[in-house]
Amino acid sequence: MNRTLLLLLGALALGTAMFAGSYVAARHTTMACCAQPDELGWLRVEFHLSDAELARIRALHEGYRPKCAAICAQIAAKKRELDAVLAQGLQGTNGTAGAQVKLNELAALRAQCQAQMLEHFVAVSQAMPPEPGRRYLAAMQQLTLGHHEQLEQTMSDAPGHEHHH
Amino acid sequence: MNENDQAHDPRIRELLRQARMAPGLPPRFQEQVWRRIELAEAPVETGSWLDRLANLIMRPRFALPAAAAVLLAGIVAGTLEGRLAARHDAQMNYLASVAPQAGFYASH
Repeated sequence: MNRTLLLLLGALALGTAMFAGSYVAARHTTMACCAQPDELGWLRVEFHLSDAELARIRALHEGYRPKCAAICAQIAAKKRELDAVLAQGLQGTNGTAGAQVKLNELAALRAQCQAQMLEHFVAVSQAMPPEPGRRYLAAMQQLTLGHHEQLEQTMSDAPGHEHHH
Repeated sequence: MNENDQAHDPRIRELLRQARMAPGLPPRFQEQVWRRIELAEAPVETGSWLDRLANLIMRPRFALPAAAAVLLAGIVAGTLEGRLAARHDAQMNYLASVAPQAGFYASH
């Protein structure tokens, strides 16, 4: 093994070791210093919220959670109903029609969930100062609805998955 | 006291040492010595650019700065990535609490 290769491997190992050590240390330090007792810690740090702003958002958050949990439970129940219909088989008009009904109901519940989520995001953004509020709303839309749109886009672009209208 | 005894007398030796004229060093003597050493150590420049770079880095003048640069690059990149990862974790934690399919979003 020549000297150049040894030198490169040594530099690579040194750089990697430093990277790994710093990565772990920075991750733990950041999480430790900015850790909040609940999931709202990210909001406080990311959008530089004051205690009063965070308290308003916390109230909204606590009010939203049970509503979110309720609709999630309805979605889970509807998915079980759909699975039951699918398990019976889709042969015949009744099979596909039954599945269609369940799919429509599931879609309606998901839409209701998304609408409720958006409503919450808007309320939270309005509890923030204007600029962070805009940033928050854009980030949340990107992280939730945006990802769903990307997934749909990916699926429609996939070969053999074109929807001809 | 014979001549040999006088040579061992410390006082006479000190006087002799002080009387001996040391020739002055030419200007930039030390720098020229180092340059000669580096030239002597430098192999004939053949091979790929990688070999030439390795040879350059192995010279005493560049070895320490190069090692420091690698260390610093690793530390800076690791710190930035670690902070980003912690931020992403916190963001996903919040998202999971407000978006029912946060895990799904995070994994895509």
